[in-house]
Amino acid sequence: MSPEVLVFDILAVLAVISGIGVVVARNPVHSAVALVVTFVNLAGIFVMLRAEFLGVVQIIVYTGAILVLVLFVIMLVDPDDLPEFHAGRPLQRVFGLLIGLMLLGEVAAAVLTRTAVGQTGPWTADEVERAGGNVQVLGQFLYSGYVLPIQAIAVVLLVGTIGALVLARPDEAPSRQRQKVTSTISLGHPRGADGQFLEPLPLPSGATASTRVIKREDMRGGIVVTKDADAYTRQPAWQVEYGPESTRTPRQSDGSGTSGTGAAPREG
Amino acid sequence: MVENSQPLWISFIVGFIVLNVLLVGMAYMTWAERKVIALMQDRIGPNRTGPFGLLQPIADGVKLLGKEDLIPKFADKRIFVIAPLISFVTAPLAALVIPFGDTITIFGEEINLYVTDLNVGVLYMLAVASVGVYGIILGGYSSANRYSLLGGLRSAAQVISYEIVQGLSLVGVFILAGSMSLVQIVNDQRRTLELFDSGIGIPNWYIFYQPIGFIVFLIAAVAETNRAPFDLPEAETELISGFHTEYSGFRFSFYFLAEYINMIVISLLAATLFLGGIDGPIADGFWWLLIKASIFLFFYIWLRATLPRFRFDQLMGIAWKVLLPLVLLNVLITGFVRLAFNDQIF
Amino acid sequence: MQELSATHFLLLSAALFITGMMGVLTRRNVLVIFMSVELMINAVNVAFVGFAWEQNSMVGQTFALFIIAVAAAESILGLGIIMALSRRMDTVDVADVTQLRD
Repeated sequence: MSPEVLVFDILAVLAVISGIGVVVARNPVHSAVALVVTFVNLAGIFVMLRAEFLGVVQIIVYTGAILVLVLFVIMLVDPDDLPEFHAGRPLQRVFGLLIGLMLLGEVAAAVLTRTAVGQTGPWTADEVERAGGNVQVLGQFLYSGYVLPIQAIAVVLLVGTIGALVLARPDEAPSRQRQKVTSTISLGHPRGADGQFLEPLPLPSGATASTRVIKREDMRGGIVVTKDADAYTRQPAWQVEYGPESTRTPRQSDGSGTSGTGAAPREG
Repeated sequence: MVENSQPLWISFIVGFIVLNVLLVGMAYMTWAERKVIALMQDRIGPNRTGPFGLLQPIADGVKLLGKEDLIPKFADKRIFVIAPLISFVTAPLAALVIPFGDTITIFGEEINLYVTDLNVGVLYMLAVASVGVYGIILGGYSSANRYSLLGGLRSAAQVISYEIVQGLSLVGVFILAGSMSLVQIVNDQRRTLELFDSGIGIPNWYIFYQPIGFIVFLIAAVAETNRAPFDLPEAETELISGFHTEYSGFRFSFYFLAEYINMIVISLLAATLFLGGIDGPIADGFWWLLIKASIFLFFYIWLRATLPRFRFDQLMGIAWKVLLPLVLLNVLITGFVRLAFNDQIF
Repeated sequence: MQELSATHFLLLSAALFITGMMGVLTRRNVLVIFMSVELMINAVNVAFVGFAWEQNSMVGQTFALFIIAVAAAESILGLGIIMALSRRMDTVDVADVTQLRD
């Protein structure tokens, strides 16, 4: 058992176990973490196979970018676990396992009895060393024979970026008709410096203490302030009145919300 | 694969020494930061614990160890435990490829003063920093706290944006050196350059060739390590300390110390890539690397003491709208100049 | 199997691929399906790099590099679709996305 086989065995077993963890985990975040572990092990295997550049590119691109994006989407989108095949349907799980093992057996049979075909290339370890290393050789190889696929990949990535921007754009705000909007702010019952209750300020003209919706003929800048205690206690903190053209109904909340500064809710 | 010229156990010992030096350096980096910021703010800083407050990091460590280890009730326990470890473990891993000196001979054994010389050394450091993002995201997620999640996502978005800028700012260095291996980059910078045939020799440091790349790398490095002025996601006055809100005691110290180790490693990297690393006028050696790294560390502390924070959208705007085009322009110009003056100056 | 040979890598690649395939076929959470697809892509990468190593060629590594790049682009778009889907339907369960069927 050469040390290479030992290292490969450890990395491979860990990768497969984490791969199974990806599929089996209930929580998608656990799946993503298991996938990170798989990718790191695979990067180790790549380095062992004299593909160092590919190994670090795998970590930078796959774990460092794609899986981070997946984690972002999981956290922004997925509220909780779904009752999936973990909750019930054990027959499906067993069948899945059996079919998977059968397929694995078939592929193993094919692999173990294969004969290598194809020409061997020139890049043995010494050749690569002499040419300066994996990166140099890969660079020469890529940019002498594969320039067109590189340009194509650039276009693909550009299309992907633009597509992502388009897909993730927030929904456009529905166009609203122009409407008159009134906001009223109710401040609390006025208190003096020592906390004593003061005389309520007079209501602006046109407003009555018991009205829930305060009309305004004398609005200053669109805000009417009422400082009457009675008007306050039944008054919602924010109240928006829409103009007659709109189809929305004015929202009215209960008067028990807090409002303004110095609010002293009077009712329980 | 490249056969390392030294036997494995020597690499282990060198690695062990490097790790210990990093840890001690990180502890005293906290002291240095407090002292320097204090002096900049016209105060004194820690001066009670030991002479000049030199035992302050030890006191901090003891305090953090003694705190209660709280795990929130609805937190995802496994991930809560793993997340700070990811940050803390990946932070010193990047220092494995930095050359701390030439090959020395002790007891007849040739010892390279670096742990390993990867063919893709600088990319390896970037890769390890990419994995460190998971410490932030998973920490924010597993805390079962809305603000932690938001802080973690923001911080991760910041880090991955500036990772791109940082990586691209180093492409100019790769073009100049023709290699990604740190040992080769340092060796290339040790050549002395004749300055217009006047007999004055200046070292072939890449900072002279890559001013834009250097400045962009510094800015991106400060943003990568979540340091001021880019530390909005973890500032105490903002998102209640962001992703490490729920961590206390030693777990918090993992994040805290990981940040400092990141700072030290990036300072070493900047010193190696742009200032020549161990190259010095009188004698090449480890002390020059230390001096140059200390300049960058001082620069970090100076920034923290001086500049106000960026808002998050300003932060991201800088990365994508200012630094990225600048760095792409840098790559373009460097490549063009290198091709045009092929092997005449360089 | 004393020496490392391509058989090892092909078996690993097959195991990962079949695991990913089972994930795609069985799970209902669209993000886990997506991650299983990534697992399958990586299994194929391992096979490519294994062959490149066995035959001392660079073509396998080149191909794997292109696969990584294309997988990155595909993942961007896939995640964009998933986000748009979740925003519309407020679910990430593929069993609920039945508009075309009904």
